[in-house]
Amino acid sequence: MLFAHGFGCDQNMWRFVAPAFEADHRVVLFDHVGAGNSDLSAYDPERYGTLGGYADDVVEICAELDLTDAVFVGHSVSAMIGVLAAARAPEAFGTLVLVGPSPRYLDDDGYVGGFEQEDIAELLDSMDSNFLGWSSTMAPAIMGNPDRPDLGEELTASFCRTDPDIAASFARVTFLSDNRADLATVRVPTLVLQCSDDVIAPSVVGDYVHAQIPSSVLVRMAATGHCPNLSAPQETIDAIRAFL
Amino acid sequence: MNFADPSAEDLYERAPCGYLSTSPDGTIVRVNATFLRWTGYNRENLVNERRFQDLLSPGGRIYYETHFSPLLRMQGSVREIAVDIITADRQRLPVLVNSVLVTDEAGAPQLVRTTVLDVRERRAYERELRLARDRERAARRALERQHEQASAISHTLQQSLLADEPPRDPRFAIAALYHPAVAQLEVGGDWHDAFELPNGRIAVTVGDVVGRGLMAATAMGQLRSAVRALAVTGAGPREVVRFLDTYVEQVVPARFATFVYAEIDPDSGATTLAVAGHLPPVIVTVGGDTRLFMEGRSTPLGIEIEALPRVEATLVLAPGDQLVLYTDGLVERRGESIDVGLERLLTAAGQDATPASLAVALDEGAGGDDDVCVLVFSRSRSR
Repeated sequence: MLFAHGFGCDQNMWRFVAPAFEADHRVVLFDHVGAGNSDLSAYDPERYGTLGGYADDVVEICAELDLTDAVFVGHSVSAMIGVLAAARAPEAFGTLVLVGPSPRYLDDDGYVGGFEQEDIAELLDSMDSNFLGWSSTMAPAIMGNPDRPDLGEELTASFCRTDPDIAASFARVTFLSDNRADLATVRVPTLVLQCSDDVIAPSVVGDYVHAQIPSSVLVRMAATGHCPNLSAPQETIDAIRAFL
Repeated sequence: MNFADPSAEDLYERAPCGYLSTSPDGTIVRVNATFLRWTGYNRENLVNERRFQDLLSPGGRIYYETHFSPLLRMQGSVREIAVDIITADRQRLPVLVNSVLVTDEAGAPQLVRTTVLDVRERRAYERELRLARDRERAARRALERQHEQASAISHTLQQSLLADEPPRDPRFAIAALYHPAVAQLEVGGDWHDAFELPNGRIAVTVGDVVGRGLMAATAMGQLRSAVRALAVTGAGPREVVRFLDTYVEQVVPARFATFVYAEIDPDSGATTLAVAGHLPPVIVTVGGDTRLFMEGRSTPLGIEIEALPRVEATLVLAPGDQLVLYTDGLVERRGESIDVGLERLLTAAGQDATPASLAVALDEGAGGDDDVCVLVFSRSRSR
């Protein structure tokens, strides 16, 4: 069972969900190159200039660990990365779980993605102004956490933080990509988890993904927002379990 | 109102920052008067109606979902997050947001407390700083590109200037090499040359222009051509140097260049040479004896001192003898006397005086921080 985090943070996004599957699955977690504790020197702007580069990494992980018939759980942009990876190495993937997937974030001629081009430009600007404080001082703009002593310093140092240029590039790749045509390549049983009031992947987008993947099941969650793996871990676990 | 002892209610409502309490999903459950005043919303439009993230600009909403919210959940608090709130009249209000997550005993999120600071002025200033940073980055990249281009041009220029094949003749052999410094981006001004004169003698030269880069490479090319032009007149080494003194008055980058110029009769081995401020040539005899040739010396080009007039000296290369010309990169090491380097050269030349083997023998541990130029003229042992 391979868990892939989305744009923004790192594999710790799964810390409330992944452990629930450790008893009956071999659980694999990883950070995308450029995120979390990944080796930043491995970042190649050309390779990671499209989601295909990230999908190639997932395929490499599967090959390295000799995964077959794996359950791929992808959050946010990693849902589409999983779709691309499954098309490249069908033998490795038995099931896809797409959490808050969106094949296209921008509105487009009859298609509702939820965002305009200028919104993405504004996101990049927003990231830039937040990095302004982060990168220059390296002082924690995000506090350590006295309430959750289980989160070590290592986590607070890396979670949701990375090289600003890489983060901006990943944001561009994520939010400007169009993978609608790739949905039709999915052959394996697929679970689409759709949150309520998700501004990043609205319900109409979840419906679209479900409609384009004949082998998919759509589950609407009571959880709100874009990160049910954090806000509603139990509901997320239950939905995945029920599907498996 | 009691100003000396304000009520908690007043402290909350009229705090100098916006203050909101939301449920973990962002739904606003309480908001203070300051926030309402800044944003123009009515309390009833917000409380239990809107989520905090709904008030953000679209880009800010993505940032909230992908960074702010995960951080808050994982770490219990976030600080100094820059976002824009869209006010009731559709204006943008730049703010800095701090939030803490309140959890129950089991650690389950119950409430989020958020303060909002109006940072219009600061954000405008930050924007200027960022623009300045971006402009500086772009300028630096453009400079780097220019620099790379200039560097590529000077490398090409230098290589094409040094590409001539030396004369081939059974009476002698000439070998030369030029190793650009590994540690330097810019080309240096070293050069070597070998050519036949109309009178049948063979001219060989090695020199070094001061400085690096395109300017040095160009000056090197000019000097090299000037030497050839003067040499074919039959002026001889001393006169060649003397004419070059005049020449470098006009070609300023070539001034203070050092060089060795020798003319060798390939039949007799009779050699005339002049050394303008350059390191002394090495003579290698057929038996493997080596010595520095210390005659015919004067100052670098463009420096004329009456006490040190331009001179030339003669010697005879016996069959099998070699004349080694080189630049300082071959012998100089940082933190070491030049005498030590010259000794090393003499020893190495006694073993095997070819440019390649000398370069290898003398480069040991040097790290290549200067260009190396070597030319070896070898008189054949017999005809």
